[in-house]
Amino acid sequence: MQYAMVIDLNRCVGCHACAVACKAEWDVPAHNGRNWVRRLGPAETPYGLSKTYYPGLCNHCDEPACVEVCPADTVMKTFACPETGRKKTMEVAATYKDPFTGVVLIDKDRCIGCGACAEACPYGARYVNPDIGEDGKADKCTFCIERVEAGLEPACVQTCLSNARIFGRLDQGEVARYLKRGASRLESDAVRIGPNVFYFGNKKDMHLLKTTCTPKEMPEASLIGKRALFARLGKGVLKGTGLAGIVGMACGIVSSDDSGDGKA
Amino acid sequence: MAPRMSRRRFLQTASLAAASVPLSKVVASAQPTLAPGTFAAPGSFKDTKTVTGGVCEMCFWRCQLVGKVRNGRLVKLEGNPKSIDNGKALCARGNAGIKLVYDPDRLKYPMKNVGERGKPVWKRISWDEALDECASRLDGIVKKYGPQGLAVWYHGASAHYPTAFFKFLGVPNMCEPAFYQCRGQTAIAMLHTLGFVPNEDVDMANAKAMLLIGTHIGENVHLSHVRNFITGIERGARVIVVDPRFSSAAAKAHVWVKIKPATDTAFLLAVMNHLIASGRYNKKFVEKWCNGFEKFKTAIGGMTVAKAAKICDVPESQIVEVADILAANAPNVAIHPGRHATWYGNDFQRIRAHACLAALLGAYEVPGGIQKIERMSTGHVHWPEREFKDDYDPEDYALAEMEEKYPFRPPGTPTDMIRETMISGKPYPIKGMIVWGANPIKTFPCQEETEKALKNMDFVMVTDVSPTDITMWADILLPEACYLERYDHIEKGTQWDCADKPQQFIAPRMPLIEPMFERKDSVWIINGIARRMGFEKDIPVKTQEEYVDHCLKEAGLSLEKIRQQDGIYIRKGVCSYCHAQKQHSFPTSSGKIELYLDDLKDEGFSPVPVYTRVPEPPRGYARMIYGRSPVHSFNRTQNNAWLNHEIPENPVWINDELAARMGLKDGDRVALENQDGKRSVSTSVLKVTPGIRKDVIFLAHGFGTFNSAMTVGYGKGIDDQSMNTRTVIEPETGCCGMRVNFVRIVKDGRPIDIPA
Repeated sequence: MQYAMVIDLNRCVGCHACAVACKAEWDVPAHNGRNWVRRLGPAETPYGLSKTYYPGLCNHCDEPACVEVCPADTVMKTFACPETGRKKTMEVAATYKDPFTGVVLIDKDRCIGCGACAEACPYGARYVNPDIGEDGKADKCTFCIERVEAGLEPACVQTCLSNARIFGRLDQGEVARYLKRGASRLESDAVRIGPNVFYFGNKKDMHLLKTTCTPKEMPEASLIGKRALFARLGKGVLKGTGLAGIVGMACGIVSSDDSGDGKA
Repeated sequence: MAPRMSRRRFLQTASLAAASVPLSKVVASAQPTLAPGTFAAPGSFKDTKTVTGGVCEMCFWRCQLVGKVRNGRLVKLEGNPKSIDNGKALCARGNAGIKLVYDPDRLKYPMKNVGERGKPVWKRISWDEALDECASRLDGIVKKYGPQGLAVWYHGASAHYPTAFFKFLGVPNMCEPAFYQCRGQTAIAMLHTLGFVPNEDVDMANAKAMLLIGTHIGENVHLSHVRNFITGIERGARVIVVDPRFSSAAAKAHVWVKIKPATDTAFLLAVMNHLIASGRYNKKFVEKWCNGFEKFKTAIGGMTVAKAAKICDVPESQIVEVADILAANAPNVAIHPGRHATWYGNDFQRIRAHACLAALLGAYEVPGGIQKIERMSTGHVHWPEREFKDDYDPEDYALAEMEEKYPFRPPGTPTDMIRETMISGKPYPIKGMIVWGANPIKTFPCQEETEKALKNMDFVMVTDVSPTDITMWADILLPEACYLERYDHIEKGTQWDCADKPQQFIAPRMPLIEPMFERKDSVWIINGIARRMGFEKDIPVKTQEEYVDHCLKEAGLSLEKIRQQDGIYIRKGVCSYCHAQKQHSFPTSSGKIELYLDDLKDEGFSPVPVYTRVPEPPRGYARMIYGRSPVHSFNRTQNNAWLNHEIPENPVWINDELAARMGLKDGDRVALENQDGKRSVSTSVLKVTPGIRKDVIFLAHGFGTFNSAMTVGYGKGIDDQSMNTRTVIEPETGCCGMRVNFVRIVKDGRPIDIPA
């Protein structure tokens, strides 16, 4: 199965409750966000004047670009299906896609905070939370899987005053019904990694959303690769440093690697 | 202003200072040595206690909430699952209450201003010193000038007990901006026309059509109200929004009437005239339940569709379309009177026109219409009746009575009359000002007049939660517990959807956490002052708990009982639809809806709603209109770190074609300058859009605080009120018109005229 979310723009009034509830729920720093609301328009579309919103969050993609770039060491991790209890063991780095729920998660204990995953995401759904650990950790939306496992709704869904956010299994219930009615993904030719957040709305609002908020290109793979490489060398020294700083710091990284840091 | 430093950035800075630490040490310490799961945020549902009884006051809608508390610290607020009003949901502001509670900028201790008013230098003092000084200064003014020498500007639930005390003292000068700069006319026009005040009790969820005139639902996020609106749309209502700007509500509408500002009454009159002329009004309802139809019909007969189309600058066909939609869906139409009405100084008549249109359509107490909602009632706390010295009677000093002005005013004294008297000393001196929870600097037009008035005082006492603009003008500044730390307001309401099983609820505000530092509630503060002024024996309640319990007694309830009910007491209610009520009731003097109101004629005003022209923008300027930002309440939330992150400033909306001609582009930093040459202190971002008329500039209200003690909100965005160097006081009500100023754009210090 795959968890998914539909955002019904016909119901959304752009109140930002989702973004703020998430901050409280997960102790997100004031200047970051696991989710966000962008205010769009009023702008002309071929279907008339539109003013709408882009409530965004991690898409828990079918082929997440963030997972493959994680430079942390891999471990074997066993996952269990919440419905059947079936188990599966996989080799994962510090970020991975749960094979049963489809939710993309971060193991914060093993995350080295390098930010490669954040740069790899074409939707900008990840950030490095500087307040966690000594050097920061990557953070993002988990679809509130922890709440869901405890029998609760995701925080953003619970607080949505007009029920514009619909969460559930992709293939069942209201989510599936919305998909049948034409809820669609923010995808382009260059970015087609199977996002599992869907948007539903009238023609003009969907036009404005799609033309302004669909990522047009994947982040430059070579740069992310470099960041991951250096991060692997640096073992956590680089957290929060912009790409431009990496090359200049390389010597320091190597020497720090020699310092007896045991995590290889 | 730089955003507040995060812990991470603080550590970075600190580690720069300690540059001698070898890198190897730093790296070593970066290794996780803690137990697995240490770095993952636990979530608000884990290891927290749920505390019930919260009632929000991030705005006045007062949703019912619960707090998640971990180790004595409030970590999250959620809607109370028991609520039949907001349910488990809260808006952005409700969620962000956490950041108000723990805002490091909040007032912590009583302070004395040892500098000047407006340029304060604060000295921390004890509560004893603060209350001694307040009591002796207030007493001194009363002794020298009489109780009429004091005035009170107030806002919010915590001000109820203080205002009751100042009434007991005999103070005749009380003013609530919530009336005179906001909803005064809406309430009073409805009261005189219908005999009751429906507020926002409009059954949008069950309407077949809705008409909103400048009502920014969605930008003003009043939770169950927005839910009503969205539900109505989902159930298929046709939505008409009349607004010079493509508002959030207009974006959901089927018909957007891009009306010229200040002409709404002409529009309403033309729609009514057209309905009457074409015989498509509810004859049965009008005959039975409306007073003065024939005179009304004749009086509005001149406002034809053709004439209004010209005045309003909208196509004739659109006025007809609106009338057609309303007629086709009557009586199940929501003619929403709105809330904030202080626009042009002729707003009383516009609100009356709303009520009359709803009457022609029979849209009262029917599904979709304006409702008379029955809520539970609670008692009041009274200070004892008092014999004043020398036959003093506060009513003899009521300024509006003395000048025989504003016969249809809402409760209290018009703001500008108090302010003028503070400056002129006529007809008697006002020398002491008490401000409780209001921020008159941002609320009243003509800021320089307000400042002049404050400078003229012998004593200014301000109580607030945060260091708002007005606190800079205090002599003594008192820190109040916020809504999550005190008892006070008792919220009363019903299920949010009129068509649902009728229920009534009562939810008294109860604290979710203890106040920190030396913050106190209003009962404690006022009793401290009263005692020192020699009124110990008159004090009606000792604590805020006693205050609330006393009020609940009338409903046969108590805090204890409601605590056991998880903070909300619910009982069976009354269906508001007339078929359930058997018949309508309009408790006016005629017992009917006053299409024609004799009382108005007696006072020399038009007894029938009338359109009055207002001055046009001078050449080179556009009319400034303002509204709400969905994550902010007036000027009270801009310092909230979470809300500031969502919407940090108020974009200045300008028409795209105009901007192109002016060489301006979306995202430019701009200031504003008004017709009197007043320039905004701060700047904001320009929003270039086709979604606004060319003769208006729009921005959200409440930004650009002048107090640098508000480290997050200080100087962010433009203070719209600073552009209001003029106002028009409505002769019927004494309320302010605040859309009567004109602005042009300033970029890089250079003013740019708005092209004609």
